[in-house]
Amino acid sequence: MLAASYFFYGYWKIEYLSLIVISTTVDFLAAQYIHRNKSQVKKRIGLSVSLITNIGLLMFFKYAGWFMEDVLHPAAAIDLAQIERFKSFWNFALPVGISFYTFQTIGYTIDVYYGRSQPENNPLKFALFVSYFPQLVAGPIERFSSLHHQLFSPSKWNYQNLQHGGRQILYGLFIKMCIADNISPIVDVIFNEPSAANSTQLAFGAILFGLQIYSDFHGYSLIAIGTARLFNVKLMDNFNAPYTSISIREFWARWHISLSMWFRDYLFIPLGGSRVNQLKLALNIMIVFLVSGLWHGANWTFVIWGAMHGLAYLLERFFISKNTANWLNFPKWIATMTIVFTAWIFFRSESLAHAAGYIMSMLNNTGNGVDLTFEPIHISLIGLFILSDLHFRNRSISTWLDQKSLVIRWVVYAFLVFCIFGFAGISNHPFIYFQF
Amino acid sequence: MKVIKKIIVALIVFFLLNQLYKHHALLVFAEKHADQYLQLHKIKNCDVIYFSASSNFPPENIEEKDPRKISQFIADHYPNLRFDAVNKPASHAAMYLALLEMLPENAEAKRFIITMNLRSFGPSWINSDLESALSQSSVFYNKRPVLFNRFLVSLNAYDQKSTVERQELVKVHWNHDQLPFEAPKNTVTSWCAVEKWGDWRNPKRQLADQYIKQFGFVIDEQNPRVKDFDAICNLANERGFQITFNLLAENMETADSLIGTDLTSLMKRNAKWLVERYENKGFTVVNNLEVLGAEHFTDKNFPTEHYFDTGRKTIAKNVAEALRYEPK
Repeated sequence: MLAASYFFYGYWKIEYLSLIVISTTVDFLAAQYIHRNKSQVKKRIGLSVSLITNIGLLMFFKYAGWFMEDVLHPAAAIDLAQIERFKSFWNFALPVGISFYTFQTIGYTIDVYYGRSQPENNPLKFALFVSYFPQLVAGPIERFSSLHHQLFSPSKWNYQNLQHGGRQILYGLFIKMCIADNISPIVDVIFNEPSAANSTQLAFGAILFGLQIYSDFHGYSLIAIGTARLFNVKLMDNFNAPYTSISIREFWARWHISLSMWFRDYLFIPLGGSRVNQLKLALNIMIVFLVSGLWHGANWTFVIWGAMHGLAYLLERFFISKNTANWLNFPKWIATMTIVFTAWIFFRSESLAHAAGYIMSMLNNTGNGVDLTFEPIHISLIGLFILSDLHFRNRSISTWLDQKSLVIRWVVYAFLVFCIFGFAGISNHPFIYFQF
Repeated sequence: MKVIKKIIVALIVFFLLNQLYKHHALLVFAEKHADQYLQLHKIKNCDVIYFSASSNFPPENIEEKDPRKISQFIADHYPNLRFDAVNKPASHAAMYLALLEMLPENAEAKRFIITMNLRSFGPSWINSDLESALSQSSVFYNKRPVLFNRFLVSLNAYDQKSTVERQELVKVHWNHDQLPFEAPKNTVTSWCAVEKWGDWRNPKRQLADQYIKQFGFVIDEQNPRVKDFDAICNLANERGFQITFNLLAENMETADSLIGTDLTSLMKRNAKWLVERYENKGFTVVNNLEVLGAEHFTDKNFPTEHYFDTGRKTIAKNVAEALRYEPK
């Protein structure tokens, strides 16, 4: 399995395998060092080596170019020619999945440091934990404690795993190929030239991008979870109907769950968590959201996206009671979705100026409108996806199907296959989260 | 046993889904993305089918006395035969081959006129940016289940290079393919560099460059278009098709006036090679290369095979005459 995982990753670009090997080796040795030493100072040294190595790799490959262009260059500390030389020397291309596997392996070292996990003594087994192929490139970001028993027990191929895994892969393919890939060309048209689109189209574009990124990433996560399930490995769910949330807090409990939990356990709680004064708490929350934004990419747009969520979270936490009357749920949902979809504009835009232009055009209705073609079948599929998302809130399609008769199960399979084969998008759109 | 039963049921379900897609959904998709597939299916029972790229069409935005297609002019000569055409801009031999291969065995059409466009043998057309769209549509031109073909399109399982990648490929040919002349006319790039029309801002220089880039190549057996035409000939022999190749007219006058006889001699040499190759295989090749003067060509800023009605009629007449000598 380790060889298969390394082959899978090396197939993209063989050079980047060295990064995984570095990350794996350092964390394996650091965890052993932390575990063997009783001295708190030595434990901290071990942890620091792990953090510096992983965050260093991440910073170098993900943020070095951006830091030079957006921070050093404006401060006149470096000229553009030097930046270009630096970039061409390192032949910059972000190694796929680096943000995911570095976070996973950092989590392991921190767990060993706090005594929550025993270190793995077999380097090959640890290497498999870091590089396990279904979740290597875009998560879910797993914990060592939940994965190691599953990964290292003898693989059990059985019909039930095949059935559950197959269903998740099928549904994942459906929402990626039939929803995300059909939406993406329309989103591209609107976002590529926001000044030409009218207000309605721009608002529609923000909503559509929200649907696109959800169906794209949720689809990927289901395919990853389903693939792991084929090998008798249960990965955590990454999404749970996030657009039904009536608060930003709830949204983050339903959106990219594995990342939210990682930030909670490995950043928010070490910063002091909730057991600090109100000012420090607000600061901690903002740090988590800003880092979360920056984690997505080296661009101010992601920082603003994180900041918007952070501010909204703080407003909720300090000014809105958790227990409000039921009739307020709908206005709360509207308010939450307005924030979420407005923040997506920044997330999707190439730069802050682009995002500002988009929002100004939307508010001022300056564009004459762009030509958007949406086929009825695609509208129907998106409608169906929204309904199914509501239906599968807090449960999976696989467990729902377990309760249905054989005929209904086969009708659902046939329908999904028919849609995937017959109505998937045809433009070339890789998974959005592969770029992070 | 249980697994085998499930596989059989799955295959039956897939067959039914394929039929459902073929009869209720394919049309909408094919109209946008695989129109030649539909054209051919509509006319598969004609007596003669004419395959071409945009050369068959009258010019856009120009009023003509007789704005009909070349294929319609040919049909005038044979009022008792049912003629029709399958056209798509930038189409070429690979597409015609795929379409002929998927023609149902029970189709009545057995006679075909296939345009042979000299420019389509060159690296510029072979690596054209339009090739991605054509490759996408060609996924449908085979006998696999249509639902599976549609899935392959979603997976982008066809030649889908970016514009930059295609331009790089063309540049490699222009820089390295050897032409049968002394330096500096031995490659397209070096030839373009020594023209007599001044720098690139001169429109004549731009047009002259385009002529060299579009026709500066030597056709041989390794040319992908030649391989496709060879395959068309083999298919015709297997299935008893009667095929006439229509080697289209090029604007030789303009080429001659801009670059001189070196380029036109190369064009003639390539045309002669094609005529001899396919006549030796027993097929008729109507050589229209030099039949039209510059006044018959509609596009003045780029070498194309777009003709005014007088030009289209001349080509049609030559093809129609050649058809008379084909075995009935």
